[in-house]
Amino acid sequence: MSVLDEITRLQNEAIERIGKSDSLDSLQEIQNVYLGRKGLITSILKSLKDLPNDQRKEVGASANKARVAVSNLLNEKKESLSGGGERSAFDPTLPGTQPQTGVVHIITQVIEDICNTFHGMGFEIARGPNVETDYYNFEALNFPPDHPARDMQDTMFVEHDRLLRTHTTPVQSRFLETHKPPIKIITPGICFRNEAISTRSHVAFHQVDGFVVDEGVTMADMKGAILAFCKAFFSDDVKLKFRPSYFPFTEPSAEVDISCFLCEGKGCRVCKYAGWLEILGCGMIDPNVLEKAGIDSEKYSGYAFGMGVERPAMLKYKINDIRLFFNNDNRFLRQFR
Amino acid sequence: MKISYKWLIELTGLDWNPEDLGDRLTLCGTACEYIDPADQYMHGVIVGEILAINKIEGADKIRLATVNLGDRQLDVVCGAPNIEVGLKVPVATLGAKLDGGIVIKKAKIRGIDSEAMICSERELGLSDEHAGILVLDSSATPGQELAELLDYKDDFMMTFELTPNRPDSMSAVGIARDMAALASVKVNKPTFELTESEEKASDYIKVTIEDEVACPRYAARIIKNVKIAESPYWLKKKLVLAGVRPISNVVDITNFVMLELGQPLHAFDYDRFGSKEVVVRMGKEKEPFKSLDGADHELTSEVIMITNGKTGVAAGGVMGGFDSEVEDGTTNILLEAAYFNASMIRKSRRQLGFVTESSQRFEKGADPNIIEYAIDYAASLLQSLCGGEVLAGIVDCYPSVIEPLKIKFRPKRCNDIIGTELTSDKMKQIFEDLEFTVTGDTDFEVTVPTFRPDIEREIDLIEEISRIIGFDNIPSSNTNIGSLYTPIHYEDKFKKEMRTVLTGVGFDEFISHGLADSKLANLLHTDRPQLKIANPISEDLDIMRNCLMQTAMTVIHHNVSHRSLDLSIFEIGKTYLPPDDKDYWAEDESLVLAVTGNTQHTWRDKPRPRDFYDITGAMKAMATHFGWGDFSFEAKQFSFFEKEISFEISLNNKVCGLIGKMNSKVSKKFGVKQDVFIAELNLAYLLSLSNKLIAYQPLPIYPAALRDLAMIVKEEVQANELLQQVKKSAGKYAESVEIFDLYQGKQIEKGKKSIAISISYRSKESSLESAIVDASQQKVVADLVKKFNVEIRDK
Ligand SMILES: [Zn+2]
Repeated sequence: MSVLDEITRLQNEAIERIGKSDSLDSLQEIQNVYLGRKGLITSILKSLKDLPNDQRKEVGASANKARVAVSNLLNEKKESLSGGGERSAFDPTLPGTQPQTGVVHIITQVIEDICNTFHGMGFEIARGPNVETDYYNFEALNFPPDHPARDMQDTMFVEHDRLLRTHTTPVQSRFLETHKPPIKIITPGICFRNEAISTRSHVAFHQVDGFVVDEGVTMADMKGAILAFCKAFFSDDVKLKFRPSYFPFTEPSAEVDISCFLCEGKGCRVCKYAGWLEILGCGMIDPNVLEKAGIDSEKYSGYAFGMGVERPAMLKYKINDIRLFFNNDNRFLRQFR
Repeated sequence: MKISYKWLIELTGLDWNPEDLGDRLTLCGTACEYIDPADQYMHGVIVGEILAINKIEGADKIRLATVNLGDRQLDVVCGAPNIEVGLKVPVATLGAKLDGGIVIKKAKIRGIDSEAMICSERELGLSDEHAGILVLDSSATPGQELAELLDYKDDFMMTFELTPNRPDSMSAVGIARDMAALASVKVNKPTFELTESEEKASDYIKVTIEDEVACPRYAARIIKNVKIAESPYWLKKKLVLAGVRPISNVVDITNFVMLELGQPLHAFDYDRFGSKEVVVRMGKEKEPFKSLDGADHELTSEVIMITNGKTGVAAGGVMGGFDSEVEDGTTNILLEAAYFNASMIRKSRRQLGFVTESSQRFEKGADPNIIEYAIDYAASLLQSLCGGEVLAGIVDCYPSVIEPLKIKFRPKRCNDIIGTELTSDKMKQIFEDLEFTVTGDTDFEVTVPTFRPDIEREIDLIEEISRIIGFDNIPSSNTNIGSLYTPIHYEDKFKKEMRTVLTGVGFDEFISHGLADSKLANLLHTDRPQLKIANPISEDLDIMRNCLMQTAMTVIHHNVSHRSLDLSIFEIGKTYLPPDDKDYWAEDESLVLAVTGNTQHTWRDKPRPRDFYDITGAMKAMATHFGWGDFSFEAKQFSFFEKEISFEISLNNKVCGLIGKMNSKVSKKFGVKQDVFIAELNLAYLLSLSNKLIAYQPLPIYPAALRDLAMIVKEEVQANELLQQVKKSAGKYAESVEIFDLYQGKQIEKGKKSIAISISYRSKESSLESAIVDASQQKVVADLVKKFNVEIRDK
């Protein structure tokens, strides 16, 4: 058989094998067999120099034609197997032109979440000044005159005996004075304490207080409302623990723990292996507080509760430094889109 | 408050395990914080008997003791001076973990293998004593566990966090009382025998109270011939597990009775008291007093003083004096049990500058009527443990007896407040378990013992019922209180929408607490007063801010110094400015917008510096959203802005803010070296323009006719002037007028600019004929030429 016949045979054989091939791997093998460094068609091309001059040109042209034909067919088949079909110059993978958008501060988001949840339960938002009087911040809330919180050690004062409110509860004192029951209010806002700034404590923090006053309001109502909130805000299967505590403006008073949502109560580093997280303080509004605001404490009763905003946010998002909230580092803020 | 677990179990006879006890007390208001094994530093520590002591060559301080550990002998290197052959001592063996982080490991000391240590009290967590090793009772058996010998095994140190309203919980009996009430059992209070001698105490001491408000009761006993020594282990252990350092039997007894009953006591050395009379009075200004810790004080009239009629011997209820302190050689004791006014003790100890176990109890409120029992109990212990002779009688000065309070209590009211259906009998039972007495059936009269000064009103009694039944046993109700409709205040909705618009156009929200640095405030609105903090936590947070630009600059500084150079930020927050009415500093809300750095760089958009128009653009987005109309900008010089770019902002002809490019010198003082554009707007005014109902406009029926107009004009002619003129000239059919091109450069003469305006004409009644439009257009051109000398360009 002449070399030319051999070339034709190899080309046909390759074309047939390509036609039957159904995987990229087998195509690669075919490529190696015919066109690889030691491939059958490649060998013929390499051996041209050994041929007599008169054959060299014809065989060379024929072998080259075969190489191109097999190569093209291989590429076509490869493309069809890799699903590519026809490829155009349009590149959909260039990044879309995303207009730059900003982010609402995480504290605003958490406050909004809390307020929305309470709004769904029928609570209305009320606000008050950050610079307060001793009366609304302490006296109206039944703090005894020598209570340590009234000290310069704990509270920051400004001129004319005003102070920076230490909780948002003075909004309650003000609201009770000017409204008649039924009352159902939440009061989000910032508060201040005379405390050094560290990873765990800050001179300023946010709080959401709430209170309800009407005829026949009971501790059972308070428990129901707080349970409903915690289910909505944390998770539906949250468990609560009410521990008796002391606040000057409520009696009885309680501290509320929720089952740790990070370990589902099994105990972890965040809950100090207790399975519980302290989240909220609450209690029945002390009759003195109602009377001071001119509300008949025999006829009406009420409950109040208060919670920090930074603390649950830190727990929920695993933030380990409270200072991040007021630093406003946009590498931090933009994590909470 | 720390107390031994076994002590509480002894007092109640209950079999609760420590965790159980902690949980139950926590749920009734005495929060248990920690439960630490009493023998936590005694694991691997056993009794050893010293068999021999040998010198170590080349060492003069340390010696080698051979100890018998029962089943083996061991050589132990020891540096203590008080080791002697035959002594029984605690030996910490391999692996023992002692107080202060000491772990016993194999080591070589002076070439000698060492794998044990003879311990001092400090290493065992028993006291601060570490001058010598702890010498154990001679009856101890070598090899015995130390924890077992000292009865620390299976005991725990319970740490409670008490609420400020519960002084009664500051004692073992007080805590046991809550346990007993939970289980409905009685507390086994300590019983004792006391034999008095013939001699009368009143022959030895007289008590006078000069200030009955400060000190309503003062009682004294005389105990003669005591022998000062170490306390027995059982007593020391109770102190140690309560976190109180044992000192000597007499002092330990006073502390022990205080820990058990809550009544602070003080023992004076009678022979060094200085007289035969106790006079209780207020201190005199600048009166000198040396307290038993050796510190010299200058008194004020706010310190309650115990005196011998001449000089002060103790700061009443706070701390004893140096000169009459019980010493090793003391033989005769004047024992004090008194009751002081709570708030006066608080003042006293503030003046003196320290808090003691005693002052803590008095300032929360002690029990004036436990004094006899407490002083007799202490006297009996001084008799049985120190060999003292107790003289007959208590010298008790109690001019006006403090009676227990009687409070009216309505069981129905109680159920109404806590939301339960408890029976009257159940409530009565709870009160009796708390040692209150109850009379009456439908309504009760409850007599509250004086050890519960926190209970003054019916609501306080309701709280007692609720905490003893346990909050977990109060049902959870789903009743809706209030109306079905809950308003959302427009102010809240407005701010929320504003945030949505601003984040939508690429601005990040930041928030501030409002505390600011007066030095930086002085760089901005120098004319605005500053609300100063009287007791700032630091110099750079000494005022409440009087504008939001200051905090915006601080935030920019923080970000820029962390290499976030490209920022568009806003805050909605309060400023603190002088009041309109005199009652309050006005807390008006503002909106601040600030940009700096470059716009984002993508494959399609090349970055450019963020500038003035990025802010006015965001303002326009808000104006569109809220329907405010157009802002206008009047040049006005603000010292903190660059001269060229410094404006007052108006809306509907009312000034409502300012905008400009921050003066680079001011920026630098904030630590910012790049250009900052900033605007601050009055939020209340924007809010007042916003809550408008939108009235629907019918959609146009007839087509609009569009005309463009390009012109060359002097560069100082402002865009808004041209637009206003065009609107005026184009007549009633002009529907909108917009700028669509601005050019300055090569083809345009210097000092001039090319502006292109598009005008849309439309009629509601018909299709506009081109003649009408052309006429309007001609008037526009004529007016512009006349007014601004524009040169109309051909298309
Ligand atoms: Zn956990």
